[in-house]
Formats: sequence, structure tokens, C-alpha cells
Amino acid sequence: MKSRRFTGWLFATPWIVTLIVFWLFPLLYSLYLGFTDYKLLNSSYSWIGFENYVALLSDHDFLLSLKNTLIFVIGTIPVTTIIALLLALLIDKKFPGRTIFRSGYFMPSITSMVVIALIFTNLYSRGGYIYLLAKIIGLSPPDNGFLLSKKTALFSVMAMDVWMSVGYYMLLFLAGLKSIPRELFEAAEVAGAGLWRKFMSITLPLLKPVILFIIVINTIKSFQVFVEIFVMTRGRYGSSTAVYFIYETGLNRFEFGYASASAYILFVIIALFSIIQFGLLRQEGFR
Amino acid sequence: MNHQEIYSRAMKTKYILSALLVILAAGFMSCSKESQPKGNITLEWWQFWTDPSISPTIEKMVLDYEKAHPNVKVNRTDLTWANGHEKIVVAFSSGTAPDIIELGSDWVPEFSSTGHLADITDSVVNDTARFYNWAPVIYNDRIYGFPWILGTRVLFINRDLMNRAKYGQKFVPTNWPQLKEVCYKIDSLGKDVYGFGSNAAEKHRLYKKFLPFFWSYDGRIISKNGKYCVFSSDKAYKALKFYKELSDSCSMVDTQRRLEDAFLDDKVGVVISGDWLLKRIRNEKPDFNFTTTLIPGPKFPGKSFAGGEYLAVNAKSDHKAAALDFIRFVTNAENQLLFCKANYSANPSNKETTKDPFFADDINLQTFVVQMNSSQSPPAIPQWVYVEDIIETALEDILFNGAPMAERLYKAKIEIEKLLKMR
Repeated sequence: MKSRRFTGWLFATPWIVTLIVFWLFPLLYSLYLGFTDYKLLNSSYSWIGFENYVALLSDHDFLLSLKNTLIFVIGTIPVTTIIALLLALLIDKKFPGRTIFRSGYFMPSITSMVVIALIFTNLYSRGGYIYLLAKIIGLSPPDNGFLLSKKTALFSVMAMDVWMSVGYYMLLFLAGLKSIPRELFEAAEVAGAGLWRKFMSITLPLLKPVILFIIVINTIKSFQVFVEIFVMTRGRYGSSTAVYFIYETGLNRFEFGYASASAYILFVIIALFSIIQFGLLRQEGFR
Repeated sequence: MNHQEIYSRAMKTKYILSALLVILAAGFMSCSKESQPKGNITLEWWQFWTDPSISPTIEKMVLDYEKAHPNVKVNRTDLTWANGHEKIVVAFSSGTAPDIIELGSDWVPEFSSTGHLADITDSVVNDTARFYNWAPVIYNDRIYGFPWILGTRVLFINRDLMNRAKYGQKFVPTNWPQLKEVCYKIDSLGKDVYGFGSNAAEKHRLYKKFLPFFWSYDGRIISKNGKYCVFSSDKAYKALKFYKELSDSCSMVDTQRRLEDAFLDDKVGVVISGDWLLKRIRNEKPDFNFTTTLIPGPKFPGKSFAGGEYLAVNAKSDHKAAALDFIRFVTNAENQLLFCKANYSANPSNKETTKDPFFADDINLQTFVVQMNSSQSPPAIPQWVYVEDIIETALEDILFNGAPMAERLYKAKIEIEKLLKMR
């Protein structure tokens, strides 16, 4: 028995060591650093209590980046989820070329974010296709392109993010749709239910676990938005987000104490959002 | 005291003196050993020049040095601009930094102020007159680096567009009213043609384009004693007003790279750029009809932005003397000429190098050489990275978001002053 237990621990050791060294230790160490004035180039640092946290709460750049992150989360998640669900419902039907559409929509999700961000940077710029298209249909895009205007920079990145991630969530919805028993739809048809009725009474309730999963993972992902901002705007034109702020503070200015404190504030916000989401959805019977 | 006693005492004194001499000689030997290493040593050198056009020249310099100094081996490590700065910071903080480090001009203060770079003032004090632009490496009146390959910006003018705007073949704007007139005329040539290339709010770039206008008015960001911010001045207001007028009325506003693309595509008449654009034109569009001229100002010539590459010695290096010797070798007139020829660089730090026909016979390189004499670097303060950010955000607000100029400049001044007091 003892020997079996030992063997078990032995097998688990690589994972446990990795967990402690690369996950638990950095996590706790950064929590500690958040209470210090540690800067990478300074040889010494001291405990300053909650000073970093207090300073962050009155730091205009940090507050703006938090606000932008919230706009990003609130703006992209419902749109992404609804479009993904609609696409999944359409693709679920049998029609010629269905596989091509399915692969096409999914393609952006497996393409490098950097590549997509660079392509969209060009599309959004003055003379880019999206810019020209906007002009053709009578809109008045900003003179210097969508990414070089405070009014449109963040929203342009959000639109690209929706385009990019919709295929992945569509696939999750498709898997959810496949798991709904066909007999339920047949019974509803016999009872005279229309498309809308079937959707509201069968599809949506049975997709609730998938919706919950998508909303939670999309929330966490959206709170951590970074690459798009880094490649497309570098946080300029009022488009900085929380993770970009952390990157700037930690890896450009090397203020590890301040950066750690801001990372923990973001951590708490994400945790709160996730808890609230789970709570609300449970109340509504999403299980 | 008899004769024998006197003799024995004299012998004793002789022994003591001899012993003292031996100790002193040993002491001197050990001292000279420290400044001029005799044993085999390895110098670690981190540098950023990785382009295939320049890499062989760097390699040749290292080999030549090793040949002339058989006891020294130089280990070269190539860094990239994408993450080189982070690697250097981590290396310094973990005590694994190399003996010699290439640093961008605006990085030096952050390392010199934290004690990571060796103070080389006493060794280079006689070199200062022979090299350009020591300002970025001076901190608290001490010198912490050696200028290597520098860079400044000049005005690039599209000759074809100038011709279309009915300017003579030799005309170049020498002051702001002329610059404005040229840009307006080119801008009026057509819908897709712009007079001036104005930088968008690109990080680390926008301020470099505005500061020459500001400096041309003799503007200062920090007071001479380093305690106050004097950015919000009449000079800044006038310079910004002119720059905004250019930017709003006759400019293409875009990133530096796209402005240069548009310049080469005959869509922008005038851009401010560095010697990299010369290299690009030579490689991509050798027949392109353009000229370069000094940055205009309220009076001729205006000031330009100076930056560049500096070589510094790690404060914890065991081979400081050898490291400095290697730096002198790399920056000597001959090696800088080799470098500039290979890379088509316009601004070697060594003044003697600029006298070579390679620079004198090339009118565009000559523009850069002359411009260097009226170029300036930002204040070498450790807080510069933050000050730069405050200035860029203020410029972004004023130029692109309609913020009131005087008010926003004052806000920036308050922010910078707070920073100077805090850190």
C-alpha cells in the first residue's frame, strides 16, 4: 500500500514541481511584490503596504485602461455570443458547401492573432479596404484611418476581435446543438410549434450549459485582451487596456511592484465577474 | 658602536629596504595588472547590429581586435530591438550583464543612475572633443558611455512634387514660412497628394518629430538645475501652433513607416526622417528624385533630434580596462568608416571619420553630418521614459483630440514636475 502511494506521488511529482515553481510561487511572489516598491533595476526594495493600490486607484492611465477593458468585455461578449449562435444555427442545417462555411468561419480562430492584427491594421488605415468601404457606403471614417482616432480605435479592435473569435464559439454551439435530442424537435413539430417557439423552448434552454461556458471563458479572455492592442495601437488613442497597462508598467518601465499590484486588481475583478456570472446563471436555472 | 656593529646595522637596514622595495614592486605590478590585463581574458559584448549588410563588418572588427590582442577573446551576442532592452535589464538585475553593452541613447540614464554602468569619465575626458554628442551619457557630470553610431533627422523633399508645384530645381525651404508655403503648394496639387508627413500618435516617435520644432525656438523641457519643468512656455506654444497648423491643413497623418511609403510613392512632398530612409531609397528606389536639407526653423538652421548607439562598460566587469580598449578600437575613425560604408550610416560619432570623401562626396550624407552640429538630445534624466510619455500624451491630446493647447501644456508641465519631485 505504502509503495503504491509512493509510486503515485512519484508520478505526480513532475506536475507538482511545475505547479509550485512556475505557477504557485510566481503567483504568491507577485502578490508580495504588489506591496513593495520593487523596480527591476534597483538593487533594494522595501515594503510599502497598500501604497501601490492606493496610487493605482487615482492613476488616470490605469483607470482608463480598466474602463476600456470593461467596454471591451461588455461590447464584445454579447455580440460574439449572438453571432456565434446564429451562425451555428445556420450551419447546423444541411445545405451544399456546409463544410466550407464551417471551416471558413473557424479559420480565423486558428490563425495567429499577430497576423490578423497586422492585416486589420492595414484594412483600417486610410486607403485600406474597410476604410474605403465605409466611404463608399456613405459613412465618414476618421481622416487618418480607424486606428488613429480616439473615437474609433478601441471599437475597431473590438470589431476585429468579434470577427476573429466568432468561429470558435460557433463550433462550441454546434457541438451543443448536436447534443440536443432530435425527438424533442419532432414532438414540438407534431404539437404545431414554429421555428421561434422551438428555439425558445428547446434550443435555448438546452444550450444553457454551453452559453454559460462560452460567456465565462470569453469574459476571462476579453479581460486579458493584449496582443491586439499591442500590435494595432500600442495603447494610443485612448485604447490601452488593463493587461497592456500591466505590460507597460512591468516590462517597459520595470516597476514590478506597481505592475504586480495592478495585476492583482485585475485578478480580483475577473474573479468577481466569474463568480457573479455563475451565480446569476445558476439563479436562472442554467446548470 | 664598533665597526662590526655599524656594518651589521647597515646590512639590516639594507635588508629592510630591499624587502620594502620588493613589496612595493609587487604592489605596483599588481596595480598595473589591474589596469592592463596580461592573462587570457574573455570580453562579453552584447550588440544590436544583426542586419546581413553590417554583420560581416562587426565580425571583422572583432577578429581584427583579437588578432591585435592575442590574449583577448571577444564573445559577441546579437540582440534584437524587439526584446533587447528587456534582456539587458534582466541581465543587470540578475548580475549576469556582459562587459560591454550597446545601449540606445535614451536607455543610458536609466542604467547609469542605478549604478549599473562604469564611470569612465577619467579615461575618456581627452576624447570628448573628438566625438559628437556626449550629452545622453552624462549623468551627474560623469560620463557613462562612449558614442558609437549616432543618428539625426533631416528634411527629405520629393523633387518631382516640388517641380509640379513650380519650384526651381535648387530651391529648398530654409525657414518655417517657406516650409509652410512649400507644403501648402504641394498639398494643393491633388486629392491624394499631401504637403507634409505628420506623425500619428506613435509611441516613441511623435515626440521626436515635435521636439525639433520646440528646440528650434530654444525651448527647454527641464530647467538647467534639473528641478523644474519649463515645458509649458511661450516657445512650446508657438512651436506647437506651427506644427499643428502644418499637421491639420496640409499633412498626411500616419505612422512613420507609412509616411515614408507615401513619400516614395509621390504622395507626400516633405517628410522628416533619418538615414534609414536614405538606405531604403538606395536599395528600393535608386532613381527616386529627392533631396535632403537641414531642418528649417524660425532662423536657419533649425534644430534636429539626435539619438544613436552608445557603448558602455558594466560597472561589475572584471575587465573594465580591456573593455574600454575594445570600445576605443570599435569607435576609432577607421572602423567607424568601415561600419558606415557597409551600413550606409550617415552619423559616425568620430569627427575624423566624417572628413572622409565617403561623406564629403555624398550630398545627402553631408546633410546629416552638418545637421548633427545643430542637433540635440532629450535631457539625460532617469525619469525620461515617463517624461516622454507625458509629452506624447499631451501632443496626442492637442494634435488629434482637440485639447486646448495652453491648458494641456500646463497640465503636462505639472505632471512632469510632480515626477521630478517624486522619483
